[in-house]
Amino acid sequence: MDQELVQRVQAGDKKAFDLLVLKYQQRIVHVITGFVHDPVEALDVAQEAFIKAYRAIPNFRGDSAFYTWLYRIAINTAKNYLTAAARRPPTMDVDAADATNYYDAPELKEFETPESNIMRNELEQAIHQAIEDLPEDTATAIKLREFEGMSYEEISQVMDCPIGTVRSRIFRAREAIDARVNEIMNQGEQQ
Amino acid sequence: MTANHTELLSALVDGELQGQELDKALQLLNNNELTREQLQRYQFASDVLHGNTHDNQRIDLSASVAQALDKEPVYSDKTKENVKASVIVLPKQFWQQAAGLAMAASIGALAVVGVVSQPQNQLVPIRTVANEVPVETTTVATTGNRWTVGEAEVADRLNTYLVDHNEYAGASDVFSYARVVSYEAGQ
Repeated sequence: MDQELVQRVQAGDKKAFDLLVLKYQQRIVHVITGFVHDPVEALDVAQEAFIKAYRAIPNFRGDSAFYTWLYRIAINTAKNYLTAAARRPPTMDVDAADATNYYDAPELKEFETPESNIMRNELEQAIHQAIEDLPEDTATAIKLREFEGMSYEEISQVMDCPIGTVRSRIFRAREAIDARVNEIMNQGEQQ
Repeated sequence: MTANHTELLSALVDGELQGQELDKALQLLNNNELTREQLQRYQFASDVLHGNTHDNQRIDLSASVAQALDKEPVYSDKTKENVKASVIVLPKQFWQQAAGLAMAASIGALAVVGVVSQPQNQLVPIRTVANEVPVETTTVATTGNRWTVGEAEVADRLNTYLVDHNEYAGASDVFSYARVVSYEAGQ
């Protein structure tokens, strides 16, 4: 789907780029905070990275996954930002090939605060609990999608059911997870 | 927003939409703020599961990025072609010089290979081989790339010639006789 969105942007559909921003903004900000610790600055750098990506998109040929390409741009933008601000970039580097696994890098986690860790754990636990509370078929479908990274077609083969059924099961799971996450987030805002 | 719409958004998060469904989702996102919020909530939950969030805050850069992109050009397929064309086009003089250099380099390489390969192989003229091997004592047969003869001394000498020939053939790109024999024997 990313490739189709990229082709649409290349053909003049700016709105398609908006969807790519919606999809990847959390990840890109998370990656950039590994370099730029100030949250406000990190958001500025992330915005700059997306703008650079838009400018470079006519040359994107799809040799690598779109996210890998975007990830490289984000890392370079963050490093350039630190160089321009006369600060030393961190020695830690993440290979672009491991872009999809960067969230496991311990170096990135060291920038998190204890409060954010508590919140993260609470959210993760709430989501896992929401999944466990689902009917078995629905829980299996979302687990195969989110934890195993399977496509709808692969899940339909594994679960021996039509793709449409997989889609609606995953949707129902997302609704349940969303309700639980909202609960936690609202509690957090009230505190 | 209907259940069908939210189901569409769920599939969008999973990257499972194409063609008309993707069109429809894009249209919904552009025209309905609630749809955008819903998509971001789904995406956020997925990002939390994968540890992709910063401080577990919901971030929305899309508005500021879109505003910044207002000043940027809208691309078209023509733009893409122009970008490609500007990379490929080179002056005619460049190609002439490159062709000349390539030709000179290949002639040089050929000369070097010829000089290097000749002295390494001390060839024994075939006529000498013929003179040294008494015709009446040889009963020669070939099996694979080995000679089979009655006398051990003659067999050794023939095998030495064969090895020399193989080495020369390998160095000078001449097809080895032994390989032909071996190939035929394999048939």
